[in-house]
Amino acid sequence: MRADIVPRPLRGFVIPALLVALWWAAVRFGWSTSPLLVAPGKVWQTGVDQVASGKVFAALGASLWRDLAGFAIGASAGLLFGALLGASRLAERFIGPSFHTLKQISLFAWIPLLSVWFGLGDAAKVAFLSLAAFFPVVLNTFEGIRSVPPDLLEVARVLRFTPAQRWRKVILPSAAPAIFAGIHLGLIYAWLATLGAEYLLVSGQGIGNLMIDGREHFWMDMVLFGVFVVGLVGFTLNWIASRIEARALAWRGRSVAQF
Amino acid sequence: MKLTRARVFALAFFASTTLALAQAPSVIRIGVATGGVGAPPRTGSSTVGLVNGQGLLEKEFAKDNIKVEWIFFKGAGPAVNEALVNHQLDFAWQGDLPSIVHRAGGVKTHIIVGSGVRNGLYLGVPPDSSIAKIEDLKGKRVAVFKGTNLHLAAVRALAAHGLKEGDLKLINLDTAAAQAALTTKDIDAAFGYVELFLLRDKGVAKVVWSAAQDSYRFTRQTVLLVDDDFATRQPQIVQRVVDTVVKTARAYSDEAQRGELFAQWGKAEFPEKIWREDFISQPLRVRLSPLLDPFLVARYKDASDEAFRLKLTRSKPEIDSWFDRRFLNAALRAQGLEGYWPEYAADGNLAGGSVAAAR
Amino acid sequence: MSRDLIIPLDGVSAPHDFGLDTHRDERTTDASPARRAWRLSLAEQPWPPLHDLLLGWPLPLAVLALWALAAHCEWIAPQVLPSPEAVALTFKESLLSGELWANLQISLVRVFAGFAVGLVGGLALGVALGLSPTARDYVYPLFKAFAQVPVLGWLPLLMLLVGIDEALKIILISKAALVPIALNTYKGIQNVPTRLIEVGRVLRFTRWQMLTRVVFPAALAPIWNGIRYGLTHAWLTLVVVELLASSEGLGFMIVYGRQLFQLDVVLAAVAVVGAVGYVLDKGLAAIETRLLGWRKEAF
Repeated sequence: MRADIVPRPLRGFVIPALLVALWWAAVRFGWSTSPLLVAPGKVWQTGVDQVASGKVFAALGASLWRDLAGFAIGASAGLLFGALLGASRLAERFIGPSFHTLKQISLFAWIPLLSVWFGLGDAAKVAFLSLAAFFPVVLNTFEGIRSVPPDLLEVARVLRFTPAQRWRKVILPSAAPAIFAGIHLGLIYAWLATLGAEYLLVSGQGIGNLMIDGREHFWMDMVLFGVFVVGLVGFTLNWIASRIEARALAWRGRSVAQF
Repeated sequence: MKLTRARVFALAFFASTTLALAQAPSVIRIGVATGGVGAPPRTGSSTVGLVNGQGLLEKEFAKDNIKVEWIFFKGAGPAVNEALVNHQLDFAWQGDLPSIVHRAGGVKTHIIVGSGVRNGLYLGVPPDSSIAKIEDLKGKRVAVFKGTNLHLAAVRALAAHGLKEGDLKLINLDTAAAQAALTTKDIDAAFGYVELFLLRDKGVAKVVWSAAQDSYRFTRQTVLLVDDDFATRQPQIVQRVVDTVVKTARAYSDEAQRGELFAQWGKAEFPEKIWREDFISQPLRVRLSPLLDPFLVARYKDASDEAFRLKLTRSKPEIDSWFDRRFLNAALRAQGLEGYWPEYAADGNLAGGSVAAAR
Repeated sequence: MSRDLIIPLDGVSAPHDFGLDTHRDERTTDASPARRAWRLSLAEQPWPPLHDLLLGWPLPLAVLALWALAAHCEWIAPQVLPSPEAVALTFKESLLSGELWANLQISLVRVFAGFAVGLVGGLALGVALGLSPTARDYVYPLFKAFAQVPVLGWLPLLMLLVGIDEALKIILISKAALVPIALNTYKGIQNVPTRLIEVGRVLRFTRWQMLTRVVFPAALAPIWNGIRYGLTHAWLTLVVVELLASSEGLGFMIVYGRQLFQLDVVLAAVAVVGAVGYVLDKGLAAIETRLLGWRKEAF
């Protein structure tokens, strides 16, 4: 093995540090005359200003409120619908094909329809976000419930469980990983959709609107700051979802394959 | 007549609905087909912009405890249409094409007062571009805000200079995006309004064509419309709104107020010298006229035909009955302003008797 | 049925790997007897296949009937809900005039070009991360940070840098495809069960043999899942980018219809977008069955 010049934990920082240095040098030595090239320091300064004045929090708050509202509606509807499809073969036969066709329609194609159906205001955006979260939750819930091992159901039948007991003690715990996977995906999709909705349904405040404004005024520092904030929020949402998932599924151990 | 329970309920129901109908609304919603600037947003370019900027409607309705909500739409006319269809607006300040689009679509409105007639259209290109006239646009990438009155005026101008839509690449970009794209040279040209002067002054564009200098047929019109439901329920409010607009138009149609007018508009998106330039050799009384004269009607009819021909609309809505002059006439009479503004005939020339007044 | 694989962006938890699970497609023959029995037990009655096909229809037909009724009786304004006939007519017109095909072609070319770039990049990156601990140490943290910003978060930045032309679309689409492909490839390689590696070692496989006979076949399922996810995301991204900055393509058709209040154009274009998404996904699913058909319910 080669001599390890850089100690393990620090290695991740090497490339980013090099890039920032390159960036700073490009500005300092004027390698590019483009008005878009702003110094790293300026981005930092803009960030500080935004945080200090609280403007970024107002925008972020508006975005997150819509995100979580839409996610809550979509995820709960998704859980119910997915459970219905999973539990009733009849329902699956009737509704399934239509649902799977609807699911194929690229999410953002719904926006013009929603904006005409709901007009201006947050209603259209929240409806859109609910749709975004709805589909992955339904799919994964359905898959999870369908994948309950038959042996466990046999046991339930032998022990003469009532339907309620069957659900609480066998089906839901067994489907739990899939359901949580669906919710996690729903969260990711909802955040993605939040940004898209702000670009396409332009009214009101939001972090996406902040970036679009920055872009229109050629404020590169604002745009970069926005990118950073968006990434941070995405990371946080992911982390929270993973923690909840880990906590809820802790009793399962680390087995991956079910069989 | 026996006073049965059913009859009592029916009576109560009717009484309450009539009461509800006569009751004033708590808020008046006005949609503005532009993004505006600032918070709260303001806009220049028209009498409605002045009314907004000076809070005149808020003052007018303060005594009745009615709030006035101005809603600005970055998506311009088309976005206003989406709100109109959902009855989320009582009034709309909107350009000719999107209005015609919504009328063709069956949305019920009436035009009550003019606000922004003969608005210009300009063609902007990058400073080093070889494009000098409209004919040079053949095969180029040109930005135009589709669905707005800019769109129709631009296509008309192209057609008059021998270019069909298929002869060049028309890219749909909103006002801000078009400016950005022009600056980064993503597009070869952009149809726009006075924001192009701003770019020119920054040195990132030059303006090579002006509609006003070419022909009045390429100018755009903007009016204030009212949602029919609202007009039926609240005619007094509509009257008062029209009164305010007419009063403002009168105040600023006086040439002595020219500087003040541009200063007021200068507080919004564009500085006053931009407006001065847009209004060169155009009397205020012409541009700020609130009249719904034969010229305006003819422009709208023309636009409707054109839009149908260019497949922008599927039907040709009836235009004459779209104009509701009751409120305007009442306002003119009440303020003694009949004959103050010049009436123009369909061909763009002054209608007979108004020559003397147009001084 | 798509397998929405979870993409662990914290790098800690293993992906919930449904690649090892049964195929949910109805016609699979490698379902174990236990599975088949379960299906019977859960269902109320076994429905023969013909009924299956027919049962899917009542709902969409009912919706269609309701839609036509609503449009005719004008319960909802025609601008808000055009009648099915209007949509069908518009669809036919745009098909005949070649407009639909032209726009579709442009969208497809864009998505495939971007996807190809993302595929190559994603596979290369994923393999590098999976096989080389050094690469992992240096590159993975940056990649993870990069992946935290959803594709649309990069849009304003890229618009400033590269403008609104084809480059913008290709870059965004390839990013949308690259991230899931790279992640799944990396995780797939990492999660090859140790017992398989041990068998390889016992059989004294060379590094090359180890890779081609053990690692890649085992990782193929998650890799293919990543590819499916990547294509779905690429198509999604294409539509939104075309909605924002384009002069042609399906997304542009949708915008045009919206601006001019012609919802029938919007609905026709949306239907096509859905159909293409469906075909793409089914295509990949078919390839998956072919590629992974040799997998059995071994354990």
